[in-house]
Amino acid sequence: MACQEYQELISDYIDGTLELGEEARIERHLADCDGCRAVRDDLLQIVHFSRQLPLHTPSSEVWTQLQTKIAAERPTHFGSRVAAWVSRLKNLELNLSVPQLAASAAALLIIFSVALIISRQSAETPSASSLAGRSGTAGMNLLSNAEDQEIEEKIERLRESVEQRRVTWSPELQVAYDRSIRQVDQCLATCRQQLSGDPSDQVSKDLMRDAYLEKQRLLEGFTKF
Amino acid sequence: MSKSRQGFGDACRAATAALSVAALGASAPYAPAVERPGRFERSYTPRGAAHFTLSNVSGDITVTAWGRRTVSVLAITESPAAIEDRVVGTDILVSVKQAAPTIRADFRIYVPANTSLSLKNVLGKINVSGVTGDIVVTSFESEVRLQDVQAASVEVRVTTGDIYFDGQLREGGAYSFQSMKGDIDLNLPGGAAFNLAARALSEKINLGEFAKGLTGVTKGAKMVSGNHLAGGPRLTVTTYDGRIVLHKK
Repeated sequence: MACQEYQELISDYIDGTLELGEEARIERHLADCDGCRAVRDDLLQIVHFSRQLPLHTPSSEVWTQLQTKIAAERPTHFGSRVAAWVSRLKNLELNLSVPQLAASAAALLIIFSVALIISRQSAETPSASSLAGRSGTAGMNLLSNAEDQEIEEKIERLRESVEQRRVTWSPELQVAYDRSIRQVDQCLATCRQQLSGDPSDQVSKDLMRDAYLEKQRLLEGFTKF
Repeated sequence: MSKSRQGFGDACRAATAALSVAALGASAPYAPAVERPGRFERSYTPRGAAHFTLSNVSGDITVTAWGRRTVSVLAITESPAAIEDRVVGTDILVSVKQAAPTIRADFRIYVPANTSLSLKNVLGKINVSGVTGDIVVTSFESEVRLQDVQAASVEVRVTTGDIYFDGQLREGGAYSFQSMKGDIDLNLPGGAAFNLAARALSEKINLGEFAKGLTGVTKGAKMVSGNHLAGGPRLTVTTYDGRIVLHKK
């Protein structure tokens, strides 16, 4: 491939959307071609600085104007709403035969039934996140020996330290911390839930211990900022 | 350089300049004092196999092995002064100052293949390719891709993010991959021998064609362990919320 062809792929390469083989081929070429490396560096700079640009939130005035326009275009009566809906359906130009219509109705029925079953199950089973929400340090009693208690105490101390420091962080870092700690808490909650069903489950015990160590690593990492 | 390449490069430079100006003009309440946009660029020529350590906070990290003896580091960041480096013997340390955790720095690093790596990050993608030295990657929110790796020791630990490993396992080596939330895909030669310990708390473990050659198997709802072929390198794989898949090359 000529340099020009490589350069056309560099943007995808930076985005990480290339096939593995292509990615490796570009890497090899970049290692030897100063010109293409310069193009890549330029693109990297563009990507980097575009990430720094702030997100613009429309002003309340813009929202009000939008709402007014939507309200003006929205049909108010039920009859006109149905007419608008039918009109939109007509625009879709669906040409379905009777068997096709029957199959579509059956598919809709199946989807509805599955959704109903799933929603009932999720209503009966507490979600991991709800368990994580009430986890905090509670439930740690599943780990009982002295070493585990030491980990718990260390985690609590680290958490206090992090909470004091986080006010100085950028919003991006705060969000990353919150997401990560929530994820670890969610894993702990899942382990706890599985252990409560089977207290002899050694894999869940080991995973729970490792999750506590991960939480400790996480907190230690963030106390440095 | 051909005309079209030159045109493309010029367009990139013009766009860079425009975006840099826009970025400088943008005001964010938490942003540190914005310095001149730029680069941190260094080259090191270690006398033997180097150990390269990078401590970044936010940004992508790409490490590629090349055929030269130098280690080349390029970081694109709005604050190059916030990056410091130190060389002690064959140890090369590059880090974003901990007093400046709000800056973003995207790193491109070229190393001799036998360089051992220690990469630390908080958020941002991490890619490593062609390296034969030991690799340790720790991050909190990162997709990690290790490609064409022939290291004797690999350790990847992330809180959130997928992990992809493509490479060979060396006799007596240790390979450990852990994600709290993310899929782990390992692309290994069909003839790779290893001792496997895989755990997935919520989803499936798919050993693909490696399941056939696995002996001494212990299998549970959340784990599989056993020896593939003659055993040897230790392969430890853990994900709490994600799947594990072994692919045959």
